[in-house]
Amino acid sequence: MEDIDAMFSDLLGEMNLLTQSLGQEAAPAADPPTSTKEVNFSIGFSDLNASLNELEDKDLDDLMSDLMADLNATEEKLAAELQSLEAPPPPDLPPPPKGLIAPAAAAPTSPASPASVCTPSSTATSPLPAPPPQSVKPSKEDLEAQLKAEKIKLALEKLKEAKVKKLVVKVLMNDGSSKTLMVDERQTVREVLDNLFEKTHCDCNVDWSLRETNHELQLERTFEDHENLVEPLSAWTRDSENKVLFLERGEKYEVFKNPQNFYLWKKDKKALKEIKDKDKEILIKENFCGTSTIVPDLESVLHLREDGKKSWKQRLFQLRASGIYYVPKGKTKSSRDLVCFVQFDNINVYYGNDFKTKYKAPTDFCFVLKHPQIQKESQYIKYLCCDDAWTMNLWVTGIRIAKYGSVLYENFKTAEKKAVVSSAWTNRSTPSSSNPSTPSPTVKAKAQSQANGHAPKPQPGPVSQDFGHLPPPPPPCPNDDLPPPPPDPVFPPPPPPLAAKRSPKTAGRSQHPQGNFPPPPPEMDHLPPPPPMEESPPDFLPPPPPMNSLPHPPPPPASFGGVDHSLPPPPPDPEFLPPPPPDPQVTGGGGPPPPPPPPPPPPPASAPAPRGALRPTGSAKKMPPAPPKRTTPVMGGGGGGGGGGGGDFMSELMKAMQKKRSDQ
Amino acid sequence: MAAWDLSVIVEDLGADAPPITISVTSDLHIGGVILKLVEKMQIKRDWSDHALWWEQKQRWLLRTAWTLEKCEVHADARLVFMPQHKPLKLGLPNGLTLKLRACFSNPVFQTVMGICRLLNIRRPEELSLLRPVEEKKKKKDKDLSEDIYDLTEVPLSSVSRPCLYNGMPAHFADSDKLEAVYKMLSVTQPLPAPEVIAKQYRPASVVDKAHINGRWLDSSRCLMQQGIKENDRIWLRFKFFSFYDIDPKYDVVRVTQLYEQARWAVLLEDIDCTEEEMMLFGALQYHISKVSQSEPQMLCSSAALDDLETALQSLEVKMEGESSSASELLKTMTAPELNDYLKIFRPKRLTLKGYKQYWFKFQDTSISYFKSKEESIGEPIQQINLKGCEVAPDVNVAAQKFLIKLLIPAPEGMNEVYLRCENEQQYAQWMAACRLASKGKSLADSTFQSEIDSIRSFLAMQKTNGSQGHADASDESINPHSLVSPRYHKKYKPKQLTPRILDAYQNVAQLSLTDALMRFLQIWQALPDFGLSYVVVRFKGSRKDEVLGIAPNRLIRIDLAVGDVIKTWRYNNMKQWNVNWDIKQVAIEFEGNVNIAFSCLTADCKIVHEFIGGYIFMSTRSREKSEVLNEELFHKLTGGHEAL
Repeated sequence: MEDIDAMFSDLLGEMNLLTQSLGQEAAPAADPPTSTKEVNFSIGFSDLNASLNELEDKDLDDLMSDLMADLNATEEKLAAELQSLEAPPPPDLPPPPKGLIAPAAAAPTSPASPASVCTPSSTATSPLPAPPPQSVKPSKEDLEAQLKAEKIKLALEKLKEAKVKKLVVKVLMNDGSSKTLMVDERQTVREVLDNLFEKTHCDCNVDWSLRETNHELQLERTFEDHENLVEPLSAWTRDSENKVLFLERGEKYEVFKNPQNFYLWKKDKKALKEIKDKDKEILIKENFCGTSTIVPDLESVLHLREDGKKSWKQRLFQLRASGIYYVPKGKTKSSRDLVCFVQFDNINVYYGNDFKTKYKAPTDFCFVLKHPQIQKESQYIKYLCCDDAWTMNLWVTGIRIAKYGSVLYENFKTAEKKAVVSSAWTNRSTPSSSNPSTPSPTVKAKAQSQANGHAPKPQPGPVSQDFGHLPPPPPPCPNDDLPPPPPDPVFPPPPPPLAAKRSPKTAGRSQHPQGNFPPPPPEMDHLPPPPPMEESPPDFLPPPPPMNSLPHPPPPPASFGGVDHSLPPPPPDPEFLPPPPPDPQVTGGGGPPPPPPPPPPPPPASAPAPRGALRPTGSAKKMPPAPPKRTTPVMGGGGGGGGGGGGDFMSELMKAMQKKRSDQ
Repeated sequence: MAAWDLSVIVEDLGADAPPITISVTSDLHIGGVILKLVEKMQIKRDWSDHALWWEQKQRWLLRTAWTLEKCEVHADARLVFMPQHKPLKLGLPNGLTLKLRACFSNPVFQTVMGICRLLNIRRPEELSLLRPVEEKKKKKDKDLSEDIYDLTEVPLSSVSRPCLYNGMPAHFADSDKLEAVYKMLSVTQPLPAPEVIAKQYRPASVVDKAHINGRWLDSSRCLMQQGIKENDRIWLRFKFFSFYDIDPKYDVVRVTQLYEQARWAVLLEDIDCTEEEMMLFGALQYHISKVSQSEPQMLCSSAALDDLETALQSLEVKMEGESSSASELLKTMTAPELNDYLKIFRPKRLTLKGYKQYWFKFQDTSISYFKSKEESIGEPIQQINLKGCEVAPDVNVAAQKFLIKLLIPAPEGMNEVYLRCENEQQYAQWMAACRLASKGKSLADSTFQSEIDSIRSFLAMQKTNGSQGHADASDESINPHSLVSPRYHKKYKPKQLTPRILDAYQNVAQLSLTDALMRFLQIWQALPDFGLSYVVVRFKGSRKDEVLGIAPNRLIRIDLAVGDVIKTWRYNNMKQWNVNWDIKQVAIEFEGNVNIAFSCLTADCKIVHEFIGGYIFMSTRSREKSEVLNEELFHKLTGGHEAL
């Protein structure tokens, strides 16, 4: 375990170093305190450990493979580049790291040695930098330069990719439960919603929204579908009690469902109700499909909270495409006399909660304009109060239209398409999609495992359940909207797609170790995987048996192992897995679980010994280093209090991974 | 059948020449009359464009197969034989005048179609002709500009199918002179001098704005019928503010002229806007004029590529120099940065220390500062990320004050930070860097240099305006008063105006010419009063004059005194509308038994009728049948009694 920890921390340090030295990255590399990283990494959790523990299998896999892939790719490219640049690699160069296991010494905070690199990748790398400069030389210097440029370009791209920020986000469902997912900074809210649709099997209608709440300011805002989720979440403060909610919000796209209520709001309500669909279409076309988006013509007396004071003052406000204006005292409403109150470039609009109590507002129908990064009480926040809910809705929607323009309509159309497709899909495949029920068991499983529940009944349960659960993810992965094939209850099929799905680079690379037979230990590692998997359950509290899917016969261990094997990211897997001497400490704390049925591994408290015994072959060779080093990290991880460095984070990650595995 | 004498005046023979008399019978058709006439004159030339105009009845005899009897022509008729296409002085939306041949015999709608075809403007149904506002100025300088642009020589036959040659319609490619005309049409005009703007007529009220709409020509009748003579001045303007399917690729002239019309509408306060909007319009005009002057070399390299390019270049330079080790290699890949001594001040801090000098470093999107250059290797005193911040200039060139005001968002609110630069050069660089960073772009962004340039050119603008008498104040300098309406000439001195426009400018400085034009049009179209054509009317049953605003999608009733909108009716709720031509009253019925009727005071009711019918016609245009203009439908909707 420690060596894995070490490895990870090393890798992390590596990444830091790379990005840092390239001077391209400001955020993570620049701030020394690792704590910020932690904050950046998880949203909606009290600490990082919690966040990782709740991460779903697939996400965890992704995270792992991403981390590895990014790093590997970067390394690979760098190595390739460097090698091609200077034929004889100077001694201080990182590229060909032959060491199998990185020394645990390299902590993230002191990423002094760039030399330690994850082995599988680099071994795989060496064959890759195919075109040696010599071969090119004869042709022309230009060509060489070009080649160089190409490679550097690639390297830079990879580096850029490598610094993609990822967050583990806990999203609260409207039923009180929560889902945890990983979001990378390139993902839009739309993509996250789609992701949640898959996880929850809700009806996917256009009202589903992600909503941010600001606890301290008592604010709420629905994210727009085109926004990137990570950015606003990154603005949250470390101790923030803000939340992300997944819920239906009718007002999100109300303007496209009933445009008359916004564009003809002055007309009497009855006439608006009777409006024909055709007229609605015309309204949308007029206002959203022209050269310019037309903002609803809004003008009303609103209450403005005076800066610093506790009083609210009335003013006549007007909404224009260019901003919100008010009519100064004694002036006319003519455009030229209007005073600009706010423009929309740098602000967002939020709903206020219970401002009557908090700020003595005249009503509870308040909205707020502020820079998204402002998280606390400040004179730069503008508070407005409306006479009724309807006015508030008009204004908030109007401001959104002014701010986002036709993008809103594009978002709506996309959401609508999604809703249609998925409703068609759910209708069509009702019988086969018995797995929709899986999510809830999964949640339960998590909760229990977290609570260090007892060992489960027969293993088969979890397995079959996981099967039910696992297959679905891959299908949705393809970008097209095609419904995923009905999950196949037969076991063998799933693994291949899964393995294939794993980032192609890694998948491809996983072959190399095999090709590179020479180092026997890895080879062995490759074989044994099954045992460790089965081994881990006891430590990590297998999930509870899902009652529903019992009918499945217990799977033969072989296939079981095979499946498992495909789960973790291939390259690191063979290397790292064997060691996982899932800390006995933890197990001890959780109470010794009754050894689960799975044939091989009943590893109770004393982990190392049994493992050694169990391990059929040479892998044992690799084990030795592990036990001695198992010290603080594990303890820290077990206690959950460590929380210190990136290394700790990684160890958490590892644990979570293993737990996940044990879930099977 | 008895023969009788018909006398015809041939215009081409001159005003003094006696009419030519030919002997005709009542069953002779018009074509025969023309044939006889030409034979009698014995002048060999192309008469094909000529036709007979019946002066007393104010109509053309265009149907050559009709007999004189059917046309009710008798011996007392005074017919004039003249060309159907005559030269006309056309005032363009950009304020320039173009001489061209227009059709005097077809309905104005078709005349406009012909003109637009000649000028290469798509969607001619959106434009029309109107009588110009009389100008009391001396004509001398006008005449000069008028004669420069002449399209009368273009053979009409060549215009029918515009094919492109050298990026412009082939009929402009014949000579340098014609090419110059096309350039005038398709390139925005330089900024007008402030005096020119101030001299122009500006409507002061809604009623003033209503008067212009009384000048529109009747689309259903021809120019001759409306008293337009050869070589008369007439304006071509966009009349229906419903611009269909604008495509900058095909609509170079259309977009340019539309922009010119919009620009003048803004400058002359024909459409109201707020001060902030005016500044943005000003910034866009400045940008457009700047970019259109340097049009040819429009570069479109993507930012990301550039970024990489510079990184690669710096890398390679380094590599040539030395056989670098890996770590050095990595160092060279760093993005560009700025380093300098600047002074910082935090107004909100309690300390009243004033400006303090530090060593500043600008990297990526962050500023960090150190006590001195020597200590810049260590930890900075502070690092400030500028992403999402607000950047405002506070510059006075004459006083050598170069201040960058930053408003930096933080969880607790916005932090104010002022950076003081020593000189113009330093200011331009740091300001540009701050601007880019506020948008999340680093110094490596391709727009960095152009940002610096635009800041410097703005500084130059302030310099020439602030301190007069610089010999090198070249004609390149721009008076910011050229960019805003005269109201702001009074309100702000050029010096005060510059930073305000510059402020707005930072959001548009990177737009291409086309994008800037389109942005201008978009903001114009997003103004609340956009697309409203006013007419003073008297509603049935009401005793006072009111204003009817006609918009692309609705009619609004406006209180003349207060300017408030009283009522809005949308066309798509309209069941029918009628015009009583005798009492000049327009009656409209809307769904839900809503009936309104009004008489028109500042415009003929035919004009109002045409506006309403025209907008309904505009809304029927759709993509599938977009290729062919449904002229018949237009006339049906707008023709009124002529169409019956």
